[in-house]
Amino acid sequence: MIYGVIGAGSFGTAVANLLAENADVLLYSRNKKTAIKIQKTRVHKKQELHKRITVISNIEEFTTKCSLIFPVVPSDSFSNMLEDFKDYLKPSHILIHATKGLFVEKELTNETVLTKEEVFTMSELILSKTAVVRVGCMAGPNLAGELALKQPAATVIASPFDEVIDQGQKALKSTRLRVYGSNEINGIELAGVLKNYVAIAAGILSGLGYGENSKAMLITRGMAESIYIAKALGANQKPFLGIAGVGDLIATCNSSKSRNNTVGRLLAEGLSLEDIKEKMTEVAEGVKTVQIIHALKKYNFSAPIAEVLHQVIYQGVSIKTGLEYLMRFPTSEDADYIS
Amino acid sequence: MNQTQQPIKNRLAYVIPDRKQWPIYKLSKDKKSFLDEVVSKTEKSLLKKFHNAQLLNDELKSILYKEKNRLTKQAWKSDKPEESIFWGEIKKKILEADKIDDSEKKFKKSKKILHTILNHYSNEIVANFEPKTHKFARKILPWVFSRLTNAAPGNRFKWLWASRKSLYEKLNITGPIDQIRELSKKGTLIVVPTHFSNLDSPLIGFVIDSLGLPAMTYGAGINLFTIKLLSKWMNNLGAYKVDRRKKNQAYLELLKSYSAVAIQRGAHSLFFPGGTRSRSGELEEKLKLGLLGTAIEAQRINLQNHTEETARKIYVVPVVLNYHFVIEAESLIKQHLAIKGKEQYISQRNTLAGSYKIIKLLFKFLTAKPGMTISFARPLDVFGNNIDAEGNSINTIGQKISIKDYFVLNKELTIDRQREGVYTRELAKKIAKRFYTTNTVLSSHLLAFVAFEIVQKQNKMLDIYELLRVPEDEIEINIEELKIEIEKVKLKLLELKENGEIQVSRHIADKDINHIITHGLKHLGVYHAKLPLKKKDKTTIITQNIKLLYFYHNRLNGYKLEELFQ
Repeated sequence: MIYGVIGAGSFGTAVANLLAENADVLLYSRNKKTAIKIQKTRVHKKQELHKRITVISNIEEFTTKCSLIFPVVPSDSFSNMLEDFKDYLKPSHILIHATKGLFVEKELTNETVLTKEEVFTMSELILSKTAVVRVGCMAGPNLAGELALKQPAATVIASPFDEVIDQGQKALKSTRLRVYGSNEINGIELAGVLKNYVAIAAGILSGLGYGENSKAMLITRGMAESIYIAKALGANQKPFLGIAGVGDLIATCNSSKSRNNTVGRLLAEGLSLEDIKEKMTEVAEGVKTVQIIHALKKYNFSAPIAEVLHQVIYQGVSIKTGLEYLMRFPTSEDADYIS
Repeated sequence: MNQTQQPIKNRLAYVIPDRKQWPIYKLSKDKKSFLDEVVSKTEKSLLKKFHNAQLLNDELKSILYKEKNRLTKQAWKSDKPEESIFWGEIKKKILEADKIDDSEKKFKKSKKILHTILNHYSNEIVANFEPKTHKFARKILPWVFSRLTNAAPGNRFKWLWASRKSLYEKLNITGPIDQIRELSKKGTLIVVPTHFSNLDSPLIGFVIDSLGLPAMTYGAGINLFTIKLLSKWMNNLGAYKVDRRKKNQAYLELLKSYSAVAIQRGAHSLFFPGGTRSRSGELEEKLKLGLLGTAIEAQRINLQNHTEETARKIYVVPVVLNYHFVIEAESLIKQHLAIKGKEQYISQRNTLAGSYKIIKLLFKFLTAKPGMTISFARPLDVFGNNIDAEGNSINTIGQKISIKDYFVLNKELTIDRQREGVYTRELAKKIAKRFYTTNTVLSSHLLAFVAFEIVQKQNKMLDIYELLRVPEDEIEINIEELKIEIEKVKLKLLELKENGEIQVSRHIADKDINHIITHGLKHLGVYHAKLPLKKKDKTTIITQNIKLLYFYHNRLNGYKLEELFQ
């Protein structure tokens, strides 16, 4: 048995190291030079590579040797990655991705209107662009840096197929990682995606110097509106109360290392999106999520935090005005998402 | 999505001329071993659930109770007198088993009783296929039809039966018929039609025969077997008997095994995946997963026992039946509203009892002027992939797919029921989708849809139940408005057709609005006592039965056409 990981980013490398505790691992890097370099130096993204990991850039060899594959690439390159892999993937492959993002074909502007059929989660993208049918996702509070330091953590593998969950659990089992299972892949994926914009808001709050009360308010209300959005898109709400929901939300909102959080803090400092894009090498996922939620408005969910973020990031509204608006927003019954 | 637009004009030659080479004949010939396999498969799955003496004994009692109830409270003329004797015996045996203290012996005895019941059921439902009788039935069929029509007062419909040819023109069969005929030689067909009328069964049996396909195994309501003439006909076209009153687990499981083993043995099969007739008049969206699951299981078993090259492949063929006129429309829509609105309790009566009634229905059905449209969809494999000319599976991105890979885990074929359950749900979705894309819009459906939408627009303040209670004489539709709206919907339909999302009858596609209205009015539910739509004068159209109008309107639900009226 050889497990495969696509994408040698910091999280991909961390996942490869976890898997290597149970079996040999092939780590695919698109860039041939990088692959050779990592294979030689055995250190990548500040992480030492487990001895059972081999880094390669040959897709045919990779897909022939591995039937259980973990794609861990950013959402904006996910589609291109699938394009590269599609001729080699078969229904016998199992793919468990760990990418918390959405894919939209259209160019997004403030006026874009999307139907839910036009918005793809990564598992939906895999299903529509390849022959693979058994798809799962891995989600939860799994900050790459902490995983690399071998700190205890938990994650969720979600798939409609029990065997995918089972294979994922076996592959990742370790004394430092608890692996839960769920059949609600849609809800799990959305939980992982929607927490990104809440983390931007959390970054703004800490950038403004606010304390724990404000953050707690944001986290609980952020979770509430994520549930409203997910329900409107036809997903189950249950995952939002679990590891991949509130669990991931707490970790990301508290972590100063999270990219989304950083975007928030820079916004609070008065930087524009353009400034931030220049500063950061990789754009935070939440910036796009906010745009997509805005374009899905016709589904009539109540998401004031997302909407205010859109106004601040894309419509030039000041953070002060946005925050005032949010604090004046009429309250609803507390925890009304639990019936 | 290209449909063969040229309807079949004549009965086609059999793909396999020798009836003794048909899979269904082989099944019939090996009846004993076939039924044994069915019974043992059923036993196995039931005993998984009722795995000790107590559980099984309780279940046997529950079966007995339900059967006694059926024989007394839901009795039909078709029930054989021997039945109550049989269940009397079973009762005695269950009581005997009750007295046994030793649980192992009790379990053994109960298993024996279960076996007796399953054997009883299997002999009741089994189909018989006799080539000679089939040949004869096929010959006399046109004669039967002509007798029926000659009995009509004033010979009004005699012209329809003047020659066999006109019958096929009336039937209007479209779709990739050549491919389906070809695939019937390569693999096992599973034909899954939409279900609107009790007469769908005999009709589809007849159509399959007309296409030169070998007779297929299919379940038909046991009430249809009460009429001798029909019974012979259907049985010889391969029908097995299904009794809708029997709702006990043993019986339902047996039916499932029957179909599964038949498919595994390569018999082409046909079943209605919607389960019952569509009450609302809509295309079925939620399909029954039980029987579809047997198709996936059978495909896996075929692949376990053979190499991918030699394993018999299973091809799923969705069919959409379309009528201008559904005989039972009135009672169907009433039941639908009753279920939806919980207005009243609906008892399950044998609405087709009595041969006079059914012959009258059959007569009305087959002589209804414009006949019906039977649209065959492009075949699928059991995972919902398209099939190319050679029978290969092609996925949505155009790749040739090995179906064995769907069952492979870590390079080995494995059995995983949960996995197959997920595949079954996906297959159900793909079939439902194909129903929608294969559905042929008839002029009458378009007319009914637009007319009802106009009425709804006129009564914006009312919900659907209130609307359906508005007295019919208060409803009027202006023909000019109707024309404008039909034009709008027609344009949208043609656009959908371009994208392969629906099919459109030639009475809509190439004709002007006046023709669509005239043709539609002439055919929409023509034989109902009260018409869904009727011309009042030059400027106005009225309805005599708003519920019927609603029923025919619903056929075009699910295409978002109603958005044109908002």
